[in-house]
Amino acid sequence: MIQMFNVSKAYGDSAYALKDISLSIEKGEFVFLVGPSGAGKSTFLKLLFREELPTRGQIMVSGRSILRLKKSEVCLLRRNMGVVFQDFRLLPDRTAFENVAFAMEVLECSGKEIAQRVPQILQLVGLEGKEKAFPHQLSGGEQQRVAIARAIVNNPRILVADEPTGNLDPETSWQIMQLINDIHKRGTTVVVATHNRQIVNSMRKRVIALENGRLARDERKGGYRLEA
Amino acid sequence: MKLRTVGYFLRQAAISTRRNGWMSLASAATVAIALFVLGAFLLVIMNTNYIAQELESSIEIAVYLEVDTPREKSFNLKDEIARLPQVAEVVLVTKEEALDQLSKRWGDNKDLLAAVGGINPLPDYFRVKAVNPSQVPELAQLMAGMDLVEKVDYGEGAVTRLFSLLAWIRMVGLVTMALVSLAAIFLIAITVRLTVFARRREIAIAKWVGASDWFVRWPFFLEGVLLGLAGALVSMLALYGAYTLLVDSVTQIVPFLPVVTDIQLVSKMLFWLLAAGVTVGAVGSAVSVHRFLRA
Repeated sequence: MIQMFNVSKAYGDSAYALKDISLSIEKGEFVFLVGPSGAGKSTFLKLLFREELPTRGQIMVSGRSILRLKKSEVCLLRRNMGVVFQDFRLLPDRTAFENVAFAMEVLECSGKEIAQRVPQILQLVGLEGKEKAFPHQLSGGEQQRVAIARAIVNNPRILVADEPTGNLDPETSWQIMQLINDIHKRGTTVVVATHNRQIVNSMRKRVIALENGRLARDERKGGYRLEA
Repeated sequence: MKLRTVGYFLRQAAISTRRNGWMSLASAATVAIALFVLGAFLLVIMNTNYIAQELESSIEIAVYLEVDTPREKSFNLKDEIARLPQVAEVVLVTKEEALDQLSKRWGDNKDLLAAVGGINPLPDYFRVKAVNPSQVPELAQLMAGMDLVEKVDYGEGAVTRLFSLLAWIRMVGLVTMALVSLAAIFLIAITVRLTVFARRREIAIAKWVGASDWFVRWPFFLEGVLLGLAGALVSMLALYGAYTLLVDSVTQIVPFLPVVTDIQLVSKMLFWLLAAGVTVGAVGSAVSVHRFLRA
């Protein structure tokens, strides 16, 4: 599903955010991306999402080089990829329903499709009854659920989450990670960048560790630290 | 593109036009002023062209022969002039006819011939019309060089002065119009930029969930076009009102002055104003959209 070949990303002349990363993520995998702040996790995700281009190397998604995409084709890549951020990034002047519907509107779905699909997804993420609430009326966990609903409403093959539990208390973090795991079980490839070592240690998923922009460790059913 | 998407775009454009109320008003007003200036100059040009045409078609060249030219030579010369390609019409006015006309103009004075000593002092002359009024000076010079021609007269100066006045009016009109149009484009660009800024979160999210560039751009583009359109409509109404009032009073005060009242011509011009407004709006928003919405 995702392959990286000798990918490096430099900002400015010499400061490398990522250096010589090669890895492969298979279809249907659940991958944790761990490492201290500044290790390159965010850059990694930005490259996947083609918000930025690597300085060197090649990135393939679904067998296609995403570096060779034309500007007008980038949106097609993103339709196959849902993203969730630490700070939710909801539109404050729209309800939960409208925030999720927005993702369908920009893909020119019909009002009928939207009216059918959005309540289903809100139910899936555990927000039935909150359709008409505005973001400020929802708790952090609920806002993140709206953001996840928005990320998956168009059935992407890949879900990318950048510190999805960074702003949430431990209890809520667990619930959100469970939700992401549920989505994974439905067949979505998942990449989650996180600091949360308890969650990583107990979920026993594949762990990719970055340190100073280099690939430090890549193990199946790993923990946050090697000896954890 | 689907129809409901067009509806969505228009709704977005209308919403942001309302949100940026004063800026929208300012840019639409600038477009209106620019187009009003443009339209006013076009009307002035149309009318001066029209007046010039009327004057030009009445320009004649008077070709006076030497006083003692024999009559048959006058006829020969008339044929020779008539053969020139620039000449539309030649009329020979004999000295007798000329005297006749003169005495008529001076009243019923039958002793005019006697008063000048029994000898007609007037020459034979031709009244020549050119095919094309702009050839008049050239033609006049050509005929002045002919044998037996004493003097050529066509009110020189008036024609060339009229032409240079026309060119000057066009220049001033074009420059003014270009400047005011630039200001309009600039203001629309700022207005659209404000909208882009106000909606940057929405734009970013739309891109993350896979909106195409054009999907993101269209509402902003439409906003600019709507502003241009609004300005154009205002200027059209104002111009139409002002011109009909002006034409009414001009035809009453100076009825002999020719003015363009052809409604088809005027409405054609108004249509072009509308197109210009839309273009100005589109260019203005394209500037902002291009600079601030790169993928």
